[in-house]
Amino acid sequence: MGADLNVAAWEPGCHIFGDGCGFEAPGTELFNPTPWVDFGLAGAAGVTKYYVLAALSVVVVLAFWYFTTRRAKVVPGRAQGTAELLVGFLRDQVTRTTMGKEGDKFLPLMVTLFLFIFTMNVMGLIPIPGFQVPVTTSLAFPAVLALFVYILWNVIGIRRHGAVGHIKARLVPSGVPAWILPVVVPIEALSNFIIRPATHMIRLFAVMFAGHLLLALFAAAGFYMFNPMSPMGPVLGAVSVGYSAIALIGFLVFTVFELFIMAVQAYVFVLLSSIYIGEAIEGAH
Amino acid sequence: MKNGHPSAKKDSQEPSTANGTTLISYLLGGLAFWGGIGWVVDWALGFSGLFLPIGLGVGLVGSIYLIYIQHVRS
Repeated sequence: MGADLNVAAWEPGCHIFGDGCGFEAPGTELFNPTPWVDFGLAGAAGVTKYYVLAALSVVVVLAFWYFTTRRAKVVPGRAQGTAELLVGFLRDQVTRTTMGKEGDKFLPLMVTLFLFIFTMNVMGLIPIPGFQVPVTTSLAFPAVLALFVYILWNVIGIRRHGAVGHIKARLVPSGVPAWILPVVVPIEALSNFIIRPATHMIRLFAVMFAGHLLLALFAAAGFYMFNPMSPMGPVLGAVSVGYSAIALIGFLVFTVFELFIMAVQAYVFVLLSSIYIGEAIEGAH
Repeated sequence: MKNGHPSAKKDSQEPSTANGTTLISYLLGGLAFWGGIGWVVDWALGFSGLFLPIGLGVGLVGSIYLIYIQHVRS
């Protein structure tokens, strides 16, 4: 985790069985880096590590597709096979299950979204000193992606069914008696047009945020509890090493688990996007 | 799912994640909208905690009804 953690527990001499200096858990300061370039605009974060990591993610995604498809053959090699496996998985598990054959034209979008989100998430596990954080732990990035899907959902719905048809399909559930409509139409409006896109964005952000904080906590605790030269004697020094080892094991286990979560969250984001777009194509529900 | 509709070609299994998200959206939407209406009515008429619970109840019932209509009955 290295330079990522700017907490008191990391300061020299601040260890368990030491001179009484307590442990301070890593907090939200991890996710609020000081900008290198500040535009001076209210609400703008400026150029931070998030900015750099997002640009790096774009390069990684482009490089992945360049190197896996530049010599595409009918019988795929290992690299092309990996790319085809990803595309095939998302086609069979996401677009076909939610949109049928019609989903195939949205497959490039879904594959790109998945790989981009996954790459941004994985930036939290790549130990580049001072840069190790999932890009999606900044709410702006999931927000823009969710906003893009939301706009697309509306555009497709309006193009397929007209503005009135799209809005009616989203607000008026079929098979409901007219006298109940005044109760359920506002719920449908709030649910479909505001809460659903908000949860789409917050789900990705919150899970990555919590996961990174947990990893940071294990790393900081491992460092704090490592004090073999304890002034309280060699026994407590040995105990502190044992404590630290437990924290390190926890860190490693959760790192593997976090990698899994990063893939799952990218998949869930794409699955939900696909379901929403499929719903817009379908019209009335 | 009507015949001839694009969705007719879909696989039969509905992803449960979507249902979960939709259910939460309905529940939050119902409680927020009708609870909000109840709160505003309380505030406008000078009551304290009379219409807010009524609104929350209406919202909850409406949400559960929508969930039933969209995901159980269909």
